[in-house]
Amino acid sequence: MLRRLSPVLLGLVLACSSDGPGNVASPNAFIRVSAAISVSEPLQVLARGFEQETGTSVELNLAGSSTLAAQLLAGAHVDLFLSADTRQMDRVVADGLIPSSAPINLLSNRLVVVVPSAGFLPSGRFESPAVLTDPLFRRIAIGDPAGVPAGVYARAYLKSISLWGALSERMVPTRSVRAALAIVEVGEVDAGIVYRTDARTTDGVQIVFDVAAEDGPAIVYSAAVLSGARDPDTAEHFLSFLQRPASGAVFDEAGFVLLSP
Amino acid sequence: MNDVVSVALFTIGMASVATLVMLPAGIAMAWVLARHSFPGRVVLETLVSLPLVLPPVATGLILIAIVGRRGPVGALLEWVGIEVMFTRLGVVLAMSVMGLPLLVRAARAGFEQVDQRQEQIAATLGARPVHVFFTVSLPLARRGVIAGALLGFSRALGEFGATIMVAGALPSTRTIAVAIYTYTETGQQQAAAGMLAVAAAIACASLVLSNRLGASQTC
Amino acid sequence: MLTSFTFDFCLGEGEFVLEIHEEIEARVVAVFGVSGAGKTSVLESLAGLRTPRRGRIRIGGRTLFDTDADVDLPPYARRVGYVPQDLALFPHLNVRRNILYGAGAKPVFALTQVLRLLELDGLLERQVSRLSGGERQRVALARALMASPSVLLLDEPLAALDTGLRARILPYLKRIRDELTIPMVYVSHAKEEVRAVADWVLVLDRGRVVRSAAEV
Repeated sequence: MLRRLSPVLLGLVLACSSDGPGNVASPNAFIRVSAAISVSEPLQVLARGFEQETGTSVELNLAGSSTLAAQLLAGAHVDLFLSADTRQMDRVVADGLIPSSAPINLLSNRLVVVVPSAGFLPSGRFESPAVLTDPLFRRIAIGDPAGVPAGVYARAYLKSISLWGALSERMVPTRSVRAALAIVEVGEVDAGIVYRTDARTTDGVQIVFDVAAEDGPAIVYSAAVLSGARDPDTAEHFLSFLQRPASGAVFDEAGFVLLSP
Repeated sequence: MNDVVSVALFTIGMASVATLVMLPAGIAMAWVLARHSFPGRVVLETLVSLPLVLPPVATGLILIAIVGRRGPVGALLEWVGIEVMFTRLGVVLAMSVMGLPLLVRAARAGFEQVDQRQEQIAATLGARPVHVFFTVSLPLARRGVIAGALLGFSRALGEFGATIMVAGALPSTRTIAVAIYTYTETGQQQAAAGMLAVAAAIACASLVLSNRLGASQTC
Repeated sequence: MLTSFTFDFCLGEGEFVLEIHEEIEARVVAVFGVSGAGKTSVLESLAGLRTPRRGRIRIGGRTLFDTDADVDLPPYARRVGYVPQDLALFPHLNVRRNILYGAGAKPVFALTQVLRLLELDGLLERQVSRLSGGERQRVALARALMASPSVLLLDEPLAALDTGLRARILPYLKRIRDELTIPMVYVSHAKEEVRAVADWVLVLDRGRVVRSAAEV
């Protein structure tokens, strides 16, 4: 019985290993972009625009930056890497997969403090994040500072204004910044520190404090073409596309801050 | 809606293939662990249990270290022109690895309950060990094996951490779990809810099926 | 037709040791003794399910086990028809499939002959769970016979049956002995059975042979 099954199994296995991009504009030409999931909304729009313009399809691999970096380090075939965390980009550069001069600082983001829109807490703006030390805010959500970039930045910011000590015990670390946003929205916590781009996606939270760019940590989304890219030219073309003014408008609409010259 | 259906069908298809893939190895391992003591047995037991104990992401990292282009197996496969990462093969691999421990556990229990007496008698009737296995041991252990296969299938259906690491979150390799993650993280709440509903429906269907199968075993 | 049996081995250690050193010429050798005397261990050693520490086992000119010559045939190669006390019928197979399990392409005894001998016609499609005690016994015998054994090893074949049934099955055993002329090693703790079927008796007591004689 096994003897009869194994060619079937082998066939299945081989069939599984061949496939191409899902949404195919031009089945043969495509680039694969590993991008941090926090930029996925504007990026998906821009990718469709690029496809229409050039006929090359853009296959987006959206996940957390550390997952993306791990995949690259294992030798995954990717043309362009867009990371939400410069540390992850550094890892990939250090491994020789990207020339050290290649990464372009594409975008920045800003941290904001949010509260549930439907909460009983007074609405309006905080004069400063120190308002969070009020006992009213028993629990505050942030991305896990151990691994989520947004959480890393949030902690760095709070430390820089000497609030981390007072607040650290109230922190509820979450698996991702969107998860932090979600629990603020449902009122499970009293406040949260997330990216401005996240806060703008929902009416369920209210921004009560914007961390000014000069006060906050440098949140940098960097992008680079991989040395081993299968189609480096198209990848470079896409990277340039992302830096056009029209693309900038899309990012801006989503709440990102443009960095490139 | 189309997207939801195609992702669901894709996931069911992949999980089915993964279950078929994990069956031979899983049954063999369950048999060996149930019947034989040998040096290195503890090592085998530990290895098989690892995906159960480790966080799925960790298992995913281990997998890509092995089958990624830079890994020992991956380099070999690439030489032959087979890619694992970012392909459906990767999806099947991740699902199989995560489901295997559950299959082995249940199948092993099934084999342990088989009266060795039956196997001995079969031998005296002239059956060689392999023949005894397929005609006596496996049929008598079928409840455990089937339960294990269903468990493995369910695990494969819901698998996320290792899958996203090995197969990425590409449109062509997106499983239900990965789709829910992507939708949630990109603020597409409705799509996420739709996918969640489908996942729940599939889970219910699996449960009903496994109950039916369990019931039909009694004579 | 007499068969030569060489039982010359030592099994087990410590608390329970079975030791036999016998050369016998007979048709049916009975192994007689109270429970715990080691009777089942004898059959298991002959069948290859237990391995003596040292010794020789030969039946009808075939060497099944010999530590000096480094011979230890695995159970599937010994061609013994072993019917254990609990019968061990395969619960997942029907009567036909049980009986034919070890038959192979060319069984020595024709199925029709065995079925007639044991009056099993009409039971072939039955599920094993739906058989009476006597029927199960006969199916187990048929199964052993259809595997073309060169010797039958029967462990208390009548012990689990009531008196009436016992009286009914005993003739079958005689028929097997006489019509199929197949040698048997027959374990029992019942004197009448032994007298009825065997022509040689080994009496065991706590793992040792205390009497070995022709049965009158």
